[in-house]
Parts: sequence; structure tokens; C-alpha cells
Amino acid sequence: MQPSGFRAKHNTHVLRVLIVLVVLGVAGGLARALLLPSSFGKYGHYRADAVREEMRRPLRNMTNESCLACHPNIKKIHLAGVHRTVSCEVCHSAYADHIAEGKVVAKMPVRRGEEIRTLCLRCHNRIIRARPKESIKMIAMPDHLEQKGVRTDHLCNQCHHVHAPLKWIREARAAMGLPERPQTAAEGGVSWMRD
Amino acid sequence: MHGLAETASGAVGYVFPNDLHVHWSLMIVLYPYITGIVAGAFIVSSLYHVFHVKALRPIARFSLLFALAFLACATLPLLNHLGHPERALNMMLTPSPSSAMAGFGYIYSAYAVVLLLEILFIYRPTLVRLAQTSTGWRRSLYGVLSLGSDNLSDEALALDRKIIAFLAGIGIPMACVLHGYVGFIFGGVKANPLWATPLMPVIFLLSACVSGIAGIILAYMVIKRGEVDMTCIRTCLKYLWGFFILDFVFEMLEVFSHAYMATHHWETLHTLLWGPLFNSYWVGQVLIFSVVPFFLLGVLSLVRLDDGMVRFLAPLVSLMILIQVLLMRWNVVIGGQLMSKSERGAVFFHPEWFEKEGIVPAIVIMVLPLVILYVLGKIFPFWLPAEEKRG
Amino acid sequence: MDARLRREIEEEIRRDRRAFIKKVLGGALAGSLLLVIPAGALEVPEQLPGLRGQKGDFITGHKYAFVVDITRCIGCGSCCVADKNEYQVPDGYYRTWVERYIIDDLDNVYVDSPNGGLDGYQKPRTDIKGKVRDTFFVPKLCNMCEHPSCVQVCPVGATFQTRDGFVLIDYKRCVGCAYCIQACPYSVRFLNPKTKTADKCTWCYHRVRRGLLPACVNVCPVQARKFGDLADKNSEVYKLLHEPHVISVLKPDMGNKPSLHYLGLRREVV
Repeated sequence: MQPSGFRAKHNTHVLRVLIVLVVLGVAGGLARALLLPSSFGKYGHYRADAVREEMRRPLRNMTNESCLACHPNIKKIHLAGVHRTVSCEVCHSAYADHIAEGKVVAKMPVRRGEEIRTLCLRCHNRIIRARPKESIKMIAMPDHLEQKGVRTDHLCNQCHHVHAPLKWIREARAAMGLPERPQTAAEGGVSWMRD
Repeated sequence: MHGLAETASGAVGYVFPNDLHVHWSLMIVLYPYITGIVAGAFIVSSLYHVFHVKALRPIARFSLLFALAFLACATLPLLNHLGHPERALNMMLTPSPSSAMAGFGYIYSAYAVVLLLEILFIYRPTLVRLAQTSTGWRRSLYGVLSLGSDNLSDEALALDRKIIAFLAGIGIPMACVLHGYVGFIFGGVKANPLWATPLMPVIFLLSACVSGIAGIILAYMVIKRGEVDMTCIRTCLKYLWGFFILDFVFEMLEVFSHAYMATHHWETLHTLLWGPLFNSYWVGQVLIFSVVPFFLLGVLSLVRLDDGMVRFLAPLVSLMILIQVLLMRWNVVIGGQLMSKSERGAVFFHPEWFEKEGIVPAIVIMVLPLVILYVLGKIFPFWLPAEEKRG
Repeated sequence: MDARLRREIEEEIRRDRRAFIKKVLGGALAGSLLLVIPAGALEVPEQLPGLRGQKGDFITGHKYAFVVDITRCIGCGSCCVADKNEYQVPDGYYRTWVERYIIDDLDNVYVDSPNGGLDGYQKPRTDIKGKVRDTFFVPKLCNMCEHPSCVQVCPVGATFQTRDGFVLIDYKRCVGCAYCIQACPYSVRFLNPKTKTADKCTWCYHRVRRGLLPACVNVCPVQARKFGDLADKNSEVYKLLHEPHVISVLKPDMGNKPSLHYLGLRREVV
């Protein structure tokens, strides 16, 4: 029924376009069904397996208990002093750098020299004024060294045991037969630290 | 130089530590720029095809191809920006119903289909004729492009006309959605006081129209040199002026309302606009590339200048408008990220030439549509022979 | 204290130190020869009771909250160190950080956070114009919003809120578009240059699920960071939130409803 000499019907091209669009739509739908992760949408608009993956992220830091379990000597000192709330791993790096699969894989760094002073001053530097006054003992450098009558190039750990800062001071006083000095709140740790 | 986020070149005040990185840089400046040109060019063609502005007939077909050339490149800056471009289809696979960005894949695809079909239907008589007169691979190519139909009967052309009207009709809201929506991607970010305004989609749309019209004028005049239709150019310039008045007024209105209301956000915005953004915003976008073209367009529209003057000023003003819109995209996209969410500081940012998302890739991405346009011109004749009957 | 007495004390201290060093060295050598950790030593005691037995996809019966007490923070940056250790966060990116605030009598507010507080605060600020009125540190981390903007804007569902209230990231689906980074009012997110995906603090979800405290909470020497169960009426966070303290959240006008609470928060904090 072609009035003129055209090979195609008047709407052939429109039908072809429609067929292509439908095929594309169906193919897209199929591809989506195939590619959608299986656990997607189980609980919401996300892949439920991602929760498990995050759960299984390996631990790198442990706790002080896990460190002290193998270091009984340090444990005795660390837990007896006012630094008992200080984390082992902050100064010595993460547990996972030291132990992997139950084996010692590397030695932990031990801070020495100038590093010690920097570490101590992270908390105890009085000139950083933004610190609660009652919380911990604050000192200014080199005033503190001058006050105590020692050379100003002394490092903190020449007088203070880093794990229990008052240990040697107290032992020295006891050895000298001096009376125990009444503790200030900051030295003994404030109430919440003693709990 | 890991090519993900670029680090600010300096900071004033206090900036949150993670805010020292500018995550959306040149590529995300180009993305709204390109989609804006697409939407604007499409609207030029619709002015003829839907609103029957007869003077625009010489560029009606060209505008569609111009839009297609840029549309083909609209996803390139995004793909280059993504940390995982190989996962880009996740946008289509699991688009989040709550995300302002998730619709892009589908809106873009739907718009691409509409634009492509409109071009094929408008060009069908031409393509059928070309299929009959050419040989070899060109013949097969035109055969496919004319959808395998040689039927140019009145009945077929009447059907085509209906389909074209339909496509052009839904194309306008779709072009508006495509680009207004890009504006909303920014306008919906409540954490960013420069972006978070309902005016953002409006400004994006208006600047899109402006950049599209300016792009068409410039391209038309560059390609056709002396043979341009002056009535067409003069009409385009009037539309350009009209859209640009709205665009510029809204852009200023947004800053003015912020300044007038002077909430705590204004302090942040003030730091930004008179700090890291002063040159690109006040000097560039506002003074040189808005105020100057604003008056030039006014003169071009209101005063009857001779053809030579129009031939000289029209491409100049179009180029200035194109730069204005690019600067506007820069100031919105980059500017918004220069303010830290600390509300206390801002960073400075200068693009690098050879970064993954640097200036050279940006130039390549902007040249590519022109190459595509050149190739399209080899297949689809841009200009109508004066005697050809319109479908 | 006279000079003689002081010398004697110093001598005593020195002697004690030598003895101590010998002991420590002995212990360290013995440890390194042993090489294998005795069984049981790896069994870390639970810090959050009742979680190790839970094998489901989500925590049930507990509602965790994070409270930061800015009146306690001393700005030592231990939390930042632990966090960087836990996640091996690339330099220049921060899952958590500590800010220093100084307010002077002229109402100027000075805020800084050099390297996110990772190296502690070693230097005082020298540009304070008036007399210092108040100074404090503010630790920052993910706010775990009840209405998280990041989840709202993620185009592919790669960041999500679990049923137990944690906002997490699916590192296998994230396309790295950075929209979540733009949307987060608290700037806790960043694009991780190693994974090329978004990344942020998770309140150590992997530790919590194993019954351990978040790394930052675990190491805080002054308990400025507190993590606990609101379903447990004896927990510290429960008590804090039920007592008449000054407690607030950051940017409440954003409407995100953070579950990160700040004790003693000042209005200057953004």
C-alpha cells in the first residue's frame, strides 16, 4: 500500500527507534540485576556485607593490659605510678607493629634523649595555657630545672622514671629518711584517676 | 600530587585540618560549565522549534549539534575527577534516592537520548537524501543514521513533525532539569553558606542559557565568517541581553541578601569575597566580565548599530560572557570550598598546570567538544541551503 | 634543702636508675629470646561488656554514645597518635584532631590545630592581644549524626548508617566523588589518597564490635573522651547525660542531631 516509490513504510523508522529503546531498557535492567551486589538493600540503601568488612578490620592498637601481660616488670612500676592512665602505645607505637600472629615481629621504639623532653612536654608544659589547672602537674622549662637546682640540659628522665614519675623521688626520700611529702592533687592524680 | 584532592596554597585564620584540601577543582568547574552550554544551546534551538522565533532558523540545527558535541564530553571531567572512575556506573546501579547527585546518570542519559533523537528526526530528510547520493561507507553510515527508512512521504514527514514537536517540547524541561539540577547539587549543601540557597538552581539555569547563546553566537560567527545572517545575530544578542539581565541580577541579589541579612554566615562570606576570591569574583566576574558586557549588550540591543560594528562587537561580547560564566562556575565551585567550615578561616587555591585535574587536562576537555563538533559537521551539514524545505 | 643533702638524694636516684636499667634489660632480653607470646596473653579483657558474644550484623541491646569533656582535655594529642596508628592515616588527613581555643578579654577568639594536634601543643601562641580570659582544647571526631548529611548525599549508597547508629563507609563501592566531604558540616571526612575513597572516623567500629573502646578513648590519659552505653544506667555516659551538666552538640542548627556530645562546650566552639 505504498502510494509512492519508497521502500520503507512511513513509520518504519519510528518503530525501529522504539525497538532500540526497549532493547536498551531491557538490557540495562538485566545488567543492573546481574551487577547488583547480593547483600545490597538487605537493611537499607547499602551493601550489608560492608558492615562485616568494617567489623573485621584488623586491630592495630590493643590495650595497656595486653602490653603489660608480657612485661611484668614494667607493669609493676607503671600501674603503681601516676602515669598509670598513660597509654603504652602512644609512646611506643601500636601493638601490631610489635606482635603479629602471636609472635614478636619487631622491637618497639624506646624514646631517648630530646624525644623524652618533647613527649613529657606534650602534657606538662605550663606555657601552653589552655590546660585545666587542677588536672595534672604543670611545669615550665627551664624554670623547673633551675628551681630544683639541676643543670638546665638535664632530661626529664634523669630524675623522673617515665612510667612512674615520682618513684625515684619517693624512694630517694625514703632512703634519706625524709618524711613523705603531702601530695598535691595534681601529683597524686585527681579523684577520678584514683578510682 | 596523588591527583585526588589538591592542597591549598595558603590559609588565613583557622581552617579545619581536613579543609586544607580542595576536593572539587577545575574538573568540577568544567562540569556545570559544559552542561550549561549544552542546556543553553538546546534552548536556542527550542526558541525556533517550539517557540517559532523565525529569525533563529539559520542556527536552529547547528545549536542541536553544538549541544550534542558538548554533551558527549559532559561526563569526561567527572570521570577524570572520580577517585574510582571504574565504579562510575554505581551511579546507575544503585542511585541513592536521597542524593542530589544520584540522578545525574539517568537524567543525563535520558537527555542524551532525547537530543540524539531530535537531531536524527530533524535531519532525516537531509540524511535520506545524503544516503541516496553518497557511496561506500558514507552511504552505509547515512543509511543507519536515517534509521533505515527512505520514506519521505507527506505522511512520514507529518509523523516526524509531531515527534520533533514532542521531543523539543520535553527537551526544554529536560534541559532545565539537567542544569537546574546541577545547580541543586550545590544549592542543597546546607553545610556551605555560599552554596546553600534556593537561588542556586535559578542562577545556574540562567547562566546556562547565557553561556549557550553566547557559545552559539561565537561559534556561528567564527565558522561562517562573513556569511552570517545579521537578523539572526541581532535576535540572538537580544535574547542574550535578556537572559543576562536576569542572570546578573540574581547573582548580585544573592550576595546582596546575604550582606543585608548579615547572619553569622555573612562574616564568613565577607572573608571569602574580600579575601581569596576578590580578584576572580569582584574584578573578574563582576566588574570586567559582567558590567562591561551588560552595557555592550544594552547598546547592541537598543541602538541600531551598522552591521560592521555588530560583526565586531557580537563575538567580543559573546566571548566575554563565556568567560563570565566560567568565572562564575569557578567562584561558586572553588569559592565555596575555600571557606573552612570552621567559620574562622579560608584557604587560597591556585590550579597547577600538570595535575591530574589541572589546567592542561581542562584545556583538553574543552577542546574536545570542538573536535567532535568538527567531525559532526562532516556528517551532518550544519547550515541549510537557502532553498531547502524545512521538515 | 641544703646542697649536701641534695647531692645525696641525686646520688641515690642515680644508683636506683642503674639497678632499674639492669632489670629492664634483663627482662627485654628474656622476652626477645622467647619470641612467642605465652598463650592467654593475647586475650585482652573486654572493655565494653557483652559485645564479644554478639555475632549478628549489628549490635543489639546497647546504644553507644560518645562524650567529650573539654574541661578535662589537656591537648596532649595521644588520641591523635593512637588514631593515626590504628588506621595508618596518611599525613595531612585527620580522622580526629584537637583544637586549641584561647579567648581574651577583648573577646578575640584564637583557634589553632597545628598538624591536627598530632604532635601535641609544644608552643604557646604569641599573638594574643588582650589578657587571656579562658583557654581550652576541643577534640573533634565524627559526630555520628542521627541525620547524617554524608549518607543523604552519597549517590551510590557507599556511606550508610547501620542499625546500631554508626555511620560507616563501604570502601568497595565508594566512587570517590567527594560529595559527602562537601556535605559534612563538621569537616570530618577526607579523600584517602591510599584507597582513593572517602574516609572518616568510625568510632572504631571494629574495636567496639570486639568489646574494646575506640582507640582514642582507650589512650586518653585524663578521660576527656568517654564512650559508653546509654542502655546501661551505670555507665559514665548515661550518668553524664542524665545529670545537670552543660552538654551540647556542635552546630545544632544544622539539624544533623549528632550523637557526639560535648561536656562544658563553649559557644565559641564551631
